[in-house]
Amino acid sequence: MSSTRGRTAWILAGLVPAAFLLALLVGRYGARIDETFRALFDPESAPDVLRALVVRVRLPRALAAGCIGANLAVVGAAFQGLFRNPLVDSRILGVSSGAAFGAAVALLVSAGTIGLQASSFAFALLAVGLVCLIGLRFGSAPLVLVVGGILVSAFFNALLGLVKYVADPLSSLPAITYWLLGGLSDARWSTIVPLLVVTALGLAFFLAVRWRLNVLTLSEAEATALGVPVRGLRVAVILVGTLMIAASVAVGGIIGWIGLVVPHVARAWVGPEHGRLVPVSIGLGVSTLLLLDTIARTVLPSEIPLGILTGLVGVPAFFLLFLRFLRVRGEAR
Amino acid sequence: MKRGGLVAALAVVGVVLLAAAAEIVEVTDQTGAVVRIEGPIDRIASVYGAGTFYLYALGAQERIVAGWYLGVKGIAQASAAMHRLEPRLAEMLLFGDPNAEELVSRGAQLVLVDESRHAAFADQMEEIGIPALRFLVETPEALIEALRLTGRALGPDAVARAEAFAADYDRVFTAVRADLADLDEPAHVLFLGTSPTRVASGDMYQTHLIEAAGGVSVTESLGGYWNEVNLEQILRWDPDVILIPPYGPVQPNDLLGNSDWRAVRAVRDGRVYRMPRLIAAMDTPVPESILGVVWIACALYPDLVSLDLIDEAVRFYEGYYGLSLTEDDLALLATP
Repeated sequence: MSSTRGRTAWILAGLVPAAFLLALLVGRYGARIDETFRALFDPESAPDVLRALVVRVRLPRALAAGCIGANLAVVGAAFQGLFRNPLVDSRILGVSSGAAFGAAVALLVSAGTIGLQASSFAFALLAVGLVCLIGLRFGSAPLVLVVGGILVSAFFNALLGLVKYVADPLSSLPAITYWLLGGLSDARWSTIVPLLVVTALGLAFFLAVRWRLNVLTLSEAEATALGVPVRGLRVAVILVGTLMIAASVAVGGIIGWIGLVVPHVARAWVGPEHGRLVPVSIGLGVSTLLLLDTIARTVLPSEIPLGILTGLVGVPAFFLLFLRFLRVRGEAR
Repeated sequence: MKRGGLVAALAVVGVVLLAAAAEIVEVTDQTGAVVRIEGPIDRIASVYGAGTFYLYALGAQERIVAGWYLGVKGIAQASAAMHRLEPRLAEMLLFGDPNAEELVSRGAQLVLVDESRHAAFADQMEEIGIPALRFLVETPEALIEALRLTGRALGPDAVARAEAFAADYDRVFTAVRADLADLDEPAHVLFLGTSPTRVASGDMYQTHLIEAAGGVSVTESLGGYWNEVNLEQILRWDPDVILIPPYGPVQPNDLLGNSDWRAVRAVRDGRVYRMPRLIAAMDTPVPESILGVVWIACALYPDLVSLDLIDEAVRFYEGYYGLSLTEDDLALLATP
């Protein structure tokens, strides 16, 4: 058991830095690897253009991809446990729908990058706040929160439709459409600082409470019998998770499937126990989104929207996991 | 002493020559930002689909290294005339979200950007050290301004072309206004979008073109962009003329042959016209919109307007794009 644990740690310890390094070394600008290394570690000796690209474009973007991948994966894993539902992801409480509406409004009025992030972040929190109000009024059982999330998401989706309806088809509408498809082309040092801070604090929180997350998968009565204040932990997980996803969506738009599939891959690898599931989900989320974003900005002359790539990879991966699940239950031929 | 003076004089000459070679120009773009451009600019990327055509109109075609072309997302969508205008189209044409590294790898020294869509991308290019000209074009006046500021960034020849274009636009506006000076009642016009019930609002470029052509848009009170309405509302407006843009599936016969639409005056009178398209759509903020004004004026007042669309088209395409028109091109433009 401990050797398996050690092997897992070694694989992740290799995978994450490798994905990060690849993201820094590869791009449409065809520079030699040794030149790129110089741009990273001895900037003064590298060509100006390459230094600017590596330090101002690739590095902040790789950090953003890593943060968002980690956030989506760890919050997905935590929410799947909290709601005792393997089909939920970080969007279950309406955070993405609220963020999408906020971003669309900002794009409609040309509020700039900071305005877009602020609006997206604020409406993401508002959406989850509304769900929490429903929970406070009608009980915070997972079913109430899930139904509240569906309603609030539908409401903000309707508002998003209204914004798209009145958007300029030559400028705002395509901008909204591309934003909704997800992507990190706007990730720059000046725009990713809130994401870095929220991610650092959020990951620290989830790593600290990861053992206690197991209790959330029990019923409230069982958890109380074990002496764990499950309500406070549930509120903290929802609050921190929401902040992490809101900060992620504000920078990267709507990036689906990572929050659903990565926790399942991690679960298939190390089992459902959150003490191991949380760090493995983080490592897999970081490396998966780093690799996909590297593809998104490298393969074609224009950016491939990241949400398209995560869907293309996530759907078959989820299907394979589902087949595996059916086979384990003896329901698949 | 003499020798020292000679050295000093040579140094001064050297500095002057270096400054001249650097050709540092400061241009105020349409967001009010002062953009410092170190020329000469030999390699330009345009991520602004309408702005790419500014470069053709200003004689900077050979300097384009990458371009977004309004209404063209793939080679198959480009017209035959577009291919004649730009034989390198397959190499130049990009679409979707721009990739900063791709433009840097193509050696772009200047980027044209639509502020309302790619402001963050412009910021990113400037952080890398590549100046970005930002555009906000919603009216013909803003189009003229956009060409002028682009011309200043590109050099004296482009400045002269921008001024010539401004004079041409003024000539067309003035001629149409003079022809229609004695008009009693302007034509009421409905400009459709990509469906028969999708209409252009009063804020859109199309409405400005209709006004320049002496018409009144029946949808001028609508805000936003394309508005979805219904046939009852169109009957209430009861336009004299219905115009269809050169993109989307709607054809005049879709309305003329539909009995539901017979109650609309324009349909009853057979005055439903679809705009022709040779290269870019004339109803969008591209230089060709000068022909859009002429085409609309001719459609509204065929007996009053003295400008000849074919003459104007030949003058525009040959004069600004250096493109000779074929018989097929002329036949296409001759509609309606």
